[in-house]
Amino acid sequence: MESAAAGDDLVALIGRVAARDATAFATLYRSTHAVLYGVVARILTRGDASGEALQEAYVRIWEKAGEFDPAKGSPLAWMATIARNRALDEARRVRPASLEEMPEGFEPAAETVEPLAARARSERLAALLACLGNLDPDKREAVLLAYYRGFSRDALAERFGAPTATIKTWLRRSLLQLRDCLES
Amino acid sequence: MTLAPDDDLAAAEFALGTLDPGERATLAARRLREPELDVAIRAWEARLSPLGEATPPIAPPDDFLPAIEARIRGGVAPRASDLVAALQKRLSRWRAAAIGASGIAAALAIGIAAREAARPAAPNEFVAILQKSADSPAFVASINLAKGDLSVRPVAAPPQAGKSYELWLIAPKLGAPRSLGVIDAASVTRGPRLAAFDRETVEDATYAVTVEPEGGSPNGKPSGPPLFVGKLVPVDP
Repeated sequence: MESAAAGDDLVALIGRVAARDATAFATLYRSTHAVLYGVVARILTRGDASGEALQEAYVRIWEKAGEFDPAKGSPLAWMATIARNRALDEARRVRPASLEEMPEGFEPAAETVEPLAARARSERLAALLACLGNLDPDKREAVLLAYYRGFSRDALAERFGAPTATIKTWLRRSLLQLRDCLES
Repeated sequence: MTLAPDDDLAAAEFALGTLDPGERATLAARRLREPELDVAIRAWEARLSPLGEATPPIAPPDDFLPAIEARIRGGVAPRASDLVAALQKRLSRWRAAAIGASGIAAALAIGIAAREAARPAAPNEFVAILQKSADSPAFVASINLAKGDLSVRPVAAPPQAGKSYELWLIAPKLGAPRSLGVIDAASVTRGPRLAAFDRETVEDATYAVTVEPEGGSPNGKPSGPPLFVGKLVPVDP
């Protein structure tokens, strides 16, 4: 696996991809495919579905490269959002993920803020992690399981032993709290 | 921004991915015609997106680059018309769908390509692919604006026992969705049903399919969220 290119390099690559530079697209793929596969494979439990979602995500990245705005976020965050939306559309179309279907090696309990904190982080990531840190531990875990694993409300209800309606309230309050924190 | 608080929260959950499938499909259809909602969803996505870049990498089991490049080449074939290019792009995405559905779609694309070659440009022809997601096309609607007719061809619409599919035209300036009638899941439905709408409305509208009681909605309103949605693309650019 090749290491991810630095953010500025990715901005330049996406600019060239927007100009229909196939070589730049190949470089962009090589630099980012492992992160994007990490995004989709954590949400979709079947390997073939993950491969399909990854391919669709890169086709969309090719199509939408001209819409990328570096002022609104990092290139990798933008690409990961596209990949994640493809995976979520697939997960919500087929059936929600559940604990029983978690792929091997993906322990939900490992999804905490701590492993992320050790990674190189952007300013925006640092701010978001700080705000996540203000949430109650259960609520933080619920948000992270939803984000990284594509957990539905029902799957979260099962995991936390709480009614689905309670989970919905948790998620909505947590999201508002995150927004207030990010804007403060 | 004038978005209702509930809609903003739904946008937040859309970005997080925790809406249930029906709510997600409804919001996905609404954002096409409600710019404030679309802006709210994008804003929530942007707030959460730094988490995406922090995702621990996993090496994919295969090298998908050649397959992706093939799909992209299919989508930017230089000599094809916009429609054929769009269909080629969609066809390549439909590979995950059932073989039967792909066969019908391929036959459809060939039919349209042959028709294209056989007659001069007609700027009044449009099609909309009505689908739940990129790999699950259900109906193809063809519209001739000059004549005001509409035909709807099923591609892979699952039959609904004791229920009917109904097609709706959704345009912000009309307010509520307008019924274009019940459509058949097994054969082509034809009819001049667009005379009541002006050209701009027809071109810009979102087309949506709901499941209704047999014979169609009893009160002229959709009974549930749209199952399949799509926008028109011109046959001739």
